[in-house]
Amino acid sequence: MKNIVLDVQDLSVHYRINKKVIRAVEDVSFKVEEGDFVGIVGESGSGKSTLAHTIIRLLPTNAMVVSGRIELLGYDVLSLGEEDMRKIRWKEFSMVFQKSLNALSPVHKVGNQLADAMKAHNPNLTEEEIIDRLKQLLRMVNLPERVLKAYPHQLSGGMMQRIMIALALLNHPKFIIFDEATTALDVVTQGQIIEEIKSLVKSLSLTGLVISHDLGVVSELCDEIVVMYAGRLVEHGTTEQILQQPLHPYTQGLVRSLPDFAQEKKKLSGIPGNLPDLSQPVHQCVFAPRCPIATEECFKTVPSTEEIDGRRVACLKVGARI
Amino acid sequence: MSLLNVKNLKKYYSAGLIKKRYSVKALDGVSFDVVPGEIFGVIGESGCGKTTLGLVLSRLERETSGEITFKGSKLSGTLKLDPETRRQIQIIFQNPYESFDPRLRIEQSLLLPMRINHICDNDAERREKILGYMKDAGFEPPDAFLNRYPHELSGGQLQRISIIRAMLLKPTFLVADECVSMLDLSVRASVVNLLLDLVERERTTVLFITHDLSLAGHVCDHIMVLYLGKMVELSTAKRIVESPLHPYTRVLMSYSPSIFKKREKINVKKLGVETAIGSGCVFEPRCPYSFEKCVEQMPPLIEIEPNHSVACWLYLKT
Repeated sequence: MKNIVLDVQDLSVHYRINKKVIRAVEDVSFKVEEGDFVGIVGESGSGKSTLAHTIIRLLPTNAMVVSGRIELLGYDVLSLGEEDMRKIRWKEFSMVFQKSLNALSPVHKVGNQLADAMKAHNPNLTEEEIIDRLKQLLRMVNLPERVLKAYPHQLSGGMMQRIMIALALLNHPKFIIFDEATTALDVVTQGQIIEEIKSLVKSLSLTGLVISHDLGVVSELCDEIVVMYAGRLVEHGTTEQILQQPLHPYTQGLVRSLPDFAQEKKKLSGIPGNLPDLSQPVHQCVFAPRCPIATEECFKTVPSTEEIDGRRVACLKVGARI
Repeated sequence: MSLLNVKNLKKYYSAGLIKKRYSVKALDGVSFDVVPGEIFGVIGESGCGKTTLGLVLSRLERETSGEITFKGSKLSGTLKLDPETRRQIQIIFQNPYESFDPRLRIEQSLLLPMRINHICDNDAERREKILGYMKDAGFEPPDAFLNRYPHELSGGQLQRISIIRAMLLKPTFLVADECVSMLDLSVRASVVNLLLDLVERERTTVLFITHDLSLAGHVCDHIMVLYLGKMVELSTAKRIVESPLHPYTRVLMSYSPSIFKKREKINVKKLGVETAIGSGCVFEPRCPYSFEKCVEQMPPLIEIEPNHSVACWLYLKT
């Protein structure tokens, strides 16, 4: 039995916007074992980024954690004080953000910004030690040393994303979250960075989460996949299970709406309808209005997450194929 | 007979401060034919000139040089078109929220172009027609959507309306510039399907611009691959997807993340070069198969097999 690194239990996070309550994450539970990478997949508005930001406690002020518990590397993340949290954030766990250009200051050199983050957690290090570590990091992410003296706007998107990965690895974290880390990049650059992340994860024996809307990216990087829809976990299984034999109708629809080279030219099948209004409390299956196999029952009860063949699905009609 | 014929099309943008003026070659000698009724795909990464091509062909940007012939008459040289040709060439943009007037209701946004182009005799008939299209596109009930403002619709709904807006004018040639790339996967299919249904019904010819090779392979009849403003490969969609020849197309294929089949990755030189330098092949700095000749001269686009052209010295060794 491997150690559990991240344990999320019954987590609900709401936002308060204009007197309305937006239920961004509802009753989500899952575990990540040491050495594993779990992909969180969902479309925009599914709550995947809120989930990630809750785990490292970077939520905006209008967000409230309504219920739940998060245990990360032995820390009870949600009950830690802000000061204690700051000490371990970026040292024990870190995150690679999507918009790298927005994540760094445009008026400071990349090298200085990396060094600052380093000093904040290791005040005793000398200049030389810091520079040595930065050079070592750049080699790890395949960047030339000259980028330390560059400003963010002088670097290409791929280089910036590598800087963000270096920044996340700065203090030897054990747990790392990639939040849409390759989304804004070109296909070839994205492919290269995915390959680099794969080898880094292996050589540093990292554990983590990959947040993405792209099933292709997640299937390259992860051992397990959590599928989210409208703030709820709808299915959780190994990458192979989710992609080869999805059980939840939403996952099935998602997998079938991917175009593939091998297929003949034919119609793509999508999922009709739109995301439900997250400000209304739901007393039914959230996916029922868009679900092709929903029956009366689905509009009356909230399906619980059941365990079937080592995977978890929240659907009353499990097994029934569309 | 081709509907659209493009010969040696060039579009340079000048950039830089006054003293170090240089030009960015967004399109550098592009030539191709589009046959009536086909979906012609344009593939490439950001900065390859695919959007510029769409803007030049829909006459929103003037070309630097080159010739464009549309239905036998010359389009190039001026942006002033007669209203009839203007109507026949329509464009759908990537972001529907930016291509609708935020202060006009959907009904107004759809009626206005029809009035200008004298489609139908009066507004009642036009409304009837709009409702028919909306119903086919899955809006239920259609008239409930007409009174809304663009921000009240989701991205997928609004993009379907922008397709309807273009198709209501019965264009002969439609430019679709990354029309689904900002939409969620589950709604993407409904937008693509609507586009395919309408263009099939109206026999519209489409220039389908995308960065997604698997989507292009699915939708298009022919695919042209652009790299830094140059055409590197042109063939039927089937051939491009099944047996790509140009190293860049092969690299692109190998890196497209797919859940269906894991492909062997082709290694390219690490850092991308964003502008072409010197007289060599544009892809040479990243190409894993390059040799001396590639540094010296850009290879011409040559038809190697019937219906399959490629610009690469690897295939022109003789």
